[in-house]
Amino acid sequence: MGNVASSDQLNYPIHQRTLDNGLRVVVSPDHSVPMVAVNLWYDVGSRDERPGEHGWAHLFEHLMFSGSDHVATGEHLNLLQSLGGAVNATTWFDRTNYFETLPVGALELALWMEADRLASLPSHLDETSVDTQREVVKEEKRQRYDNVPYGDAMQHLVRLVFGPDHPYGHTTIGSMVDLDAATAERAANFFRNHYRPDNAVLTLVGDVSAKEGFKRAERAFGHLPAWNRRLRPPVTSLPSLQGVPVLQVQARVPAAATWFAWRLPPRDTPDFDACELGLVALGGGQTSRLHQQLVRNLGVAAGAGASAVPLVGGNSFGLVQLRALPGADASAAIEAALTEVERLAAEGPTAAEIARAKAQYAREWLSELAALDSRADMISAYATLHSDPERVNRRLAEVEAVTLDQVAAMCAAYLQPGQRAQLDYQQEVGDAQA
Amino acid sequence: MRRPEHRPEVKAPPRWIFPEPARWWLDNGLQILALHRPGQYIAAVSLVLDTPLSSEPSDIEGVATITQRCLDEGTATHPGPTFAERLEDIGALLSGSAGYAASDLLLEVPASRLSEALLLLAQAISEPELRASDVERHQSLRLAEIEHTMANSSNRAQVAFRQACIPGRFRASRLAGGTAATVAAIASDDVAAYHARHYRPEGATLVISGDLTNEVYHQAAAAFGGWEVQGTLGVHHQTPVSRTPHCWLIDRPGAVQADIRLGGFGIDRGDPRWADLQVATHALGGAFLSRLNRVLREEKGFTYGVHLVNSPMRDGGLLAVQSSFRTEVVPEALDLARQLLDVTGKPITTTEVLDAVNYTNGIAPLRYSTAQGVTERVSSLVGAGLSAEFVNSNALALTRVTPESATQALTELLPPDALTLVVVGDAEALREPLVAAGWPVTLKD
Repeated sequence: MGNVASSDQLNYPIHQRTLDNGLRVVVSPDHSVPMVAVNLWYDVGSRDERPGEHGWAHLFEHLMFSGSDHVATGEHLNLLQSLGGAVNATTWFDRTNYFETLPVGALELALWMEADRLASLPSHLDETSVDTQREVVKEEKRQRYDNVPYGDAMQHLVRLVFGPDHPYGHTTIGSMVDLDAATAERAANFFRNHYRPDNAVLTLVGDVSAKEGFKRAERAFGHLPAWNRRLRPPVTSLPSLQGVPVLQVQARVPAAATWFAWRLPPRDTPDFDACELGLVALGGGQTSRLHQQLVRNLGVAAGAGASAVPLVGGNSFGLVQLRALPGADASAAIEAALTEVERLAAEGPTAAEIARAKAQYAREWLSELAALDSRADMISAYATLHSDPERVNRRLAEVEAVTLDQVAAMCAAYLQPGQRAQLDYQQEVGDAQA
Repeated sequence: MRRPEHRPEVKAPPRWIFPEPARWWLDNGLQILALHRPGQYIAAVSLVLDTPLSSEPSDIEGVATITQRCLDEGTATHPGPTFAERLEDIGALLSGSAGYAASDLLLEVPASRLSEALLLLAQAISEPELRASDVERHQSLRLAEIEHTMANSSNRAQVAFRQACIPGRFRASRLAGGTAATVAAIASDDVAAYHARHYRPEGATLVISGDLTNEVYHQAAAAFGGWEVQGTLGVHHQTPVSRTPHCWLIDRPGAVQADIRLGGFGIDRGDPRWADLQVATHALGGAFLSRLNRVLREEKGFTYGVHLVNSPMRDGGLLAVQSSFRTEVVPEALDLARQLLDVTGKPITTTEVLDAVNYTNGIAPLRYSTAQGVTERVSSLVGAGLSAEFVNSNALALTRVTPESATQALTELLPPDALTLVVVGDAEALREPLVAAGWPVTLKD
């Protein structure tokens, strides 16, 4: 069926080169549309923030749009949009990425602008732009986290799972107090430390040949020196939690809800993949055990699911989320979910469940690779976090190779009920349903 | 190496043409549209049913949504949960929505499993079990979903704005999935009856995109050729009109921000001003340095983002400034937004038109580079009573927009003295300042 190769033989072309200043460049030609995705990953995320700096990586991501030597405030985004580009940036635990997908005739300009801000941003920062973007970020925090039911769940969960002083113990949005402490000078120092050619990966995917892509990358970035070279210190893996730390939150929420969370192995290791497949069997969709038992058979939850959050620095984490029915508490759902968690850890999943989990994983993986922009982001991810962009072609085979026994063993090793943390949201008194 | 001082020049993009779909009809009346996207590992399929929500009995609104959600809970061939297992076994994902003008089911699957996936989709729409226990469960889940929707400030604002702009005699003034009262009134017989009456091949369209072979027509015919229903059904689409302007304040005690919607009833894609309005909305609230975002975000820091959003329906549409602001700046932010919407003294410029057209037409190839992107676009056009050809004709229409025509469209559609406002936030803190600032708000539940 179809003209494309079967999905276990993915063959996206991957060409790599490292410039003299350390910038890693990956080019993956795809001539299906006359556009090109430019994707830059800087190897800095919220895990690199020290105590007192929580939220800075993300705040400073905003400042990357505030102008540089040859680019005015806001011009980067606005000019590339006006040429037909989709432009943005995001911050995560493990990275900060900047991307623009545009008609191929604007590629050279986009690279020139990216290089301009990498080269000269720190000397253009001023307190006014820091103040304005601080307010914008505080509004983002209010809009996306503080003013949304359960919006602070992830903040509570990573703190429970990793502890407040761990690099993953806080989320990217950070705290209002730390945001207030940011200044132009501190931002400039942060940029000089983390925004360096040798701490970045540039990926180009689209209507460009490898030769031309490398030539343009060299022309735009090749003149930049290397500075502040440093190696990331080795990370340590934390053992599984013990003693079930529990946090109960009273909040204005439409229904009671509970999360379980576990420490898992680092991303894209066979052990992590096995845990992830186990979590899919547990709560990855309509046929999963949690949905079937809690939502369909027992009718004790309005929703029940499980997922894994892949991270590179020593540990990832896994989640189960349970939403109670309106007016009910979550105790019946919690009890039933713990039974399912315990059964999975004791017996492992069935062969049919794992085959299904792999089929779902494959569709999601292929969907991620379908568009130029998300494919470029995946390539940058594997180049930055695993030093191996070719792995985008091999990942499905890696996941396919995970055996039923491995999944059972990893569920037993990492996903025991006694290894979880638990976060409970209860409806604020006076706001609950009669 | 020397640093490149001069800004590189930009080469104009080649003209991009949206490919014409291959089109067939089955004997049962089902239209099939196929769009080949070479190199795409995922195929995307959409089945669009010409079933406006105005065809729901008014006391059981939401029945279309419940019917659709029960489709994958078991079929005659694969009863109960075994149906969902068959779908997941082949890596397929089935989703859907019952929209005001049309219902659609979207199926994504690795291209190598397309043939099997089409058979499963055909079973879901033609022979679902629709058991009473499934109906009851989805009813209860929908009631929970309504609670969650209304607890979310932004969703709450969206629901209220729709109600404030469209008179209650039109179905589009209310939640597509039904309200708590109407959902609670749905019985399992209602679902069976709705399915029997409205799930029919005549007037329906199957959109298939992906790396397709010449076999695609036969695959679709094998799956859907046997779909037969009795009789014919006349389909009537409502044509909503505008309500008189309202100013509503909805209380969320203690909220740290207020969500706002400011605008009014708009137009659909068939209106001659459609391209003009697209350009105007991009200039005022689409681009990063749009007039609204430049002032309210980049200069004032009042918001994470502010947009002027143009939401067409099959007939008419909604047009609104959408944002959220910290409570204390809401009156000032609204005042600035109202001034910025008034373009009579500050018309849209030639540069703004050019930027909007270049953005919209420039980004199109990316948007349509995946099977999912193509299928979603074509099925939404079909659901709105248009065809895929609209993509190219609209791209051409955009190039003919002038600063005058864009300014004129906006002036007609958003008269500054007749705007509808919805604010969802802490009423105690907001009410007096809003009234003092010239927004005569009524407190709404």
